[in-house]
Amino acid sequence: MIEIKYFGAVAEKTKCEFEKLSFSEELSLQKLLQDLNEKYEFESLSFSVAVNQKIVSKSADYNLQISDIVALLPPFAGG
Amino acid sequence: MILPEIGEDGQHKLSKSKVLVIGAGGLGAAILPYLAAAGVGEIGIVDNDTIEISNLHRQVIYKSSAVGKSKAEEAKRMISELNPLVKVNALAEKLSGKNAISLFEKYDIIVDATDNISIKYLINDACLATNKPMVYGSIFRFQGQVSVFNYQNGPTYRCLYPDKNINALNCEDAGVIGISVGIIGMFQANEVLKMILGIGEVLSGKILVYNILNNEQQKYDFDKSDVQLISRESFEEKYNKFEVEEISFESILHEINKDSVLFLDVRNEEELPKISLKNQIQIPLQHLENEIEKLNKKQTIYIFCQSGIRSKIAVELLQKHQFKSVKSIAGGILAMKQLLATEINL
Repeated sequence: MIEIKYFGAVAEKTKCEFEKLSFSEELSLQKLLQDLNEKYEFESLSFSVAVNQKIVSKSADYNLQISDIVALLPPFAGG
Repeated sequence: MILPEIGEDGQHKLSKSKVLVIGAGGLGAAILPYLAAAGVGEIGIVDNDTIEISNLHRQVIYKSSAVGKSKAEEAKRMISELNPLVKVNALAEKLSGKNAISLFEKYDIIVDATDNISIKYLINDACLATNKPMVYGSIFRFQGQVSVFNYQNGPTYRCLYPDKNINALNCEDAGVIGISVGIIGMFQANEVLKMILGIGEVLSGKILVYNILNNEQQKYDFDKSDVQLISRESFEEKYNKFEVEEISFESILHEINKDSVLFLDVRNEEELPKISLKNQIQIPLQHLENEIEKLNKKQTIYIFCQSGIRSKIAVELLQKHQFKSVKSIAGGILAMKQLLATEINL
């Protein structure tokens, strides 16, 4: 089971601030992002991705581990 | 001064420090009075806006009697009344590639209190070119972000957000309550004072995300990416050499039926009004880079969007891909439609 946190405009698309996801076998970060993109249609929204509080490359070759926390962090523009 | 971490020595450091605050809106309204009251020696304020009644709920340093006046000038007045010892420089201008470097050089710390993503990249790049730390703060509805970029050669805004995001909403568009900008502005002022005084741990290489609805806060670490280096030369090249060329639709009206020119609509498909010119193609801005093969590098391309902002970004993008003759139509479709309507009436 992993947890995914959503912020800003991304959370508006997902309509939730976090969700938990269980997966069988292997799940790479890239595949997870691809699945989320299909599910929520982020399209042109840009965001950075953190795994366990650390920003990582979206194309990083990383297989998610049980209890990982992934966060999708779009830039904010208000002020 | 009574605080042992600050003391007389700290007060002296404060009085010798020079801080530039870009944007005197919601964030600026929280940051400025605290910097002034703390005794920062010199404060610069850059904002070319005037005060509107819709600003007052979050830009709490302005009075309703000041509606219509310059934000930079009014903020200066507020600071001078609060602490007459502070030297205040108000600049009622827009920050640009032309004035950023010479301005930043006069200060020790640059505070980003703007509500615009493009300007954040400009501030970031000018901070890199002048080797100044940038105190970033930004809001999305009930959430805020804070970080310090380029602190002692640390990671920058581009390390966190490498691509220019064109869709992030500002406050007027997304809505914001005064308290969220107040809290985030206060975090920024705190980072400024920590740097000046040399106390605590500066929020460098970390972004703090705060949610005022549930009071949750998280810090995320990020590394410096070496591809994001900007020198003074590359800054000039980026911002002042390839100035995006804007053209008025009126001046190219005689070309609208020519085969040799292409009109590129970078709006999304659902955006109205529609327009049909002889040689016209639509590629939404976010797909432009992927679909760039559809375009001919040697052709003259006039790019338009709704109001002329995205089309400028598109011009930059195409220029990066060696397109030679691309121009952005000033004022976008709104200006074009108006002109086409009068043409038809003639």
